Amino acid sequence: MRWLNLLKANTKKEYIELKRYLPNTIAMLLTFYIIFVGMFAGIQLIGDPSTQDSNIQYAIVNYIFWFLSFMVINSIGYEIINEAMKGTLEQLSMSPMGMWRIMTVRLISTTFINLVIVIVLLYLSMATAGQWLNIDVITIAPILLLTVISMFGVGFIIAGISIILKQVQAFLQILQFILMALTFIPLSVSPVLAFLPFVQGIDMVREVMIHGAAFNQLQVGDFMILGFNALFYFAIGIGVFLYCERVAMKKGLMAHY
Amino acid sequence: MESIIEVQNLRKTYRKRRSKEYVHAVSDISFKVNRGEILGLLGPNGAGKTTTIKMICGLLIPDSGMIRINGIDNKEKRLKALRHISAVLEGNRNLYWRLTVRENLEYFAGNRGMSRKDVIDQVEDLLLKFNLKGKENELVNRLSRGMQQKLAIAVAMLAESDVILLDEPTLGLDVETGYEVREILKAIVRDYNRTIIISSHDMDVIQDICERTVIINQGKIVTDDRVENLLKLFEIRAYTITLGDILNSQQQQLLLQKFPQHDYQQDTYQSILNIELAKSEGIYDLFDVLKLNNTPVEAIDRRTINFEQIFMKIVKGEKQDALAQSS
Repeated sequence: MRWLNLLKANTKKEYIELKRYLPNTIAMLLTFYIIFVGMFAGIQLIGDPSTQDSNIQYAIVNYIFWFLSFMVINSIGYEIINEAMKGTLEQLSMSPMGMWRIMTVRLISTTFINLVIVIVLLYLSMATAGQWLNIDVITIAPILLLTVISMFGVGFIIAGISIILKQVQAFLQILQFILMALTFIPLSVSPVLAFLPFVQGIDMVREVMIHGAAFNQLQVGDFMILGFNALFYFAIGIGVFLYCERVAMKKGLMAHY
Repeated sequence: MESIIEVQNLRKTYRKRRSKEYVHAVSDISFKVNRGEILGLLGPNGAGKTTTIKMICGLLIPDSGMIRINGIDNKEKRLKALRHISAVLEGNRNLYWRLTVRENLEYFAGNRGMSRKDVIDQVEDLLLKFNLKGKENELVNRLSRGMQQKLAIAVAMLAESDVILLDEPTLGLDVETGYEVREILKAIVRDYNRTIIISSHDMDVIQDICERTVIINQGKIVTDDRVENLLKLFEIRAYTITLGDILNSQQQQLLLQKFPQHDYQQDTYQSILNIELAKSEGIYDLFDVLKLNNTPVEAIDRRTINFEQIFMKIVKGEKQDALAQSS
């Protein structure tokens, strides 16, 4: 029940702030849409006409997932930086629920809110490109859930580093390109990448959305890798976060910016 | 009396940035706080007050020593101990500026795992008690510094913790709001039976609302006593006597013999005598001197010492001298 109250409070706060910063949210959404339109136009103009449809479909899925991973992973780092700047990080740290729980529910609420934005962006992109992908919610949902959990793990690592270093904005900007590489590279190029966070998940979603694969057509082994990745990266993320929090409390870095 | 906070042999050392030097922020501090008590934590800048408060709040891990909150070791069971503590830290950085007064109250309650339903009555009660009714839908960044501070204390109250720590609660407030905050703090102890620890530079606040003070200097406790005991300890018998005439040379000679530390300033028609008496009976010797020439006495004012002066004397190490004199 305490978890649920924590989740409710943080989801409400995220929603209120999103509403209060509405012009900022709309601008961000428009920027992402304009970049997509540019990419779409580029494929049409200089791409190989024989693979044009497939290229556009890949671009839509990869781009949407890049947006989601970018929002989920980077947002928690920026949250820590903002809380430290505002001075509220110490108040969060004093909650008897523990900061890692607050950050977990913030990740959940951010992901939920961003999923709504992603769905809008997805349908907008499909309508612009005139390419309608296979949106099989029953198959996509469990893959997405496990993929997002591994993203949370990476998010926690970023959050932990942010607690100690604070000035990580430059790193977060570089990270978006790393995330882009991870979301755009197909697994067939290098199967070992399946063990990196969320790469396996995006590959499976591509199978469903582009090639129309059903749940029973997906490999059990792929699901196992996905599940392992989710658990492994989440556990590592929490471990790194708690370690960094302890270092910050030992060195008195919690209030520093 | 039951102690709600026990601090034992607390030590904290920081390493200076880009240097191998260490700063001993807190060195072997021990004290207890009783349930329902208002304790003042005093000390000059850099004395170790905020470090001590942050260690009690679990925001800093001590190098050694132990802190028990309601019997719970805050190093071993930090989150459990935090259930009994809430704090308003220095400055106006305890709230979300883009949320309203009510949203802040509800958010921080939710962050402690409480539901909106659980706190709805308390929120109304606190809005009334803290004179924030009518401002509940106002964004925090539009509130005055005083209102923000009152809201921060209300948020700490909503936590339903046994102990509230306040770091410089009246800093930057105008006289009126400072007074209002003081009254609120007194009401918290009276009506809600909470324990309060205040760290402050404002001696009026400490003298007005604290029962006991712990004075820290250079990371060490130099005094742990009740406010009235300290006032008594440093009580002085110093008088300013306004005379309706000037003293003649014989009187001045006698004064010098009997009260070598006196200060005498003469004007055309009157004179002022500042005198400090070792014993109260000394006043009769003074009257004998004045009677020699029937010098009229226009006023006798006893000079009092305020808490700020006591604090300065303690920090300068004059407490030992005062103790020696009183014994």
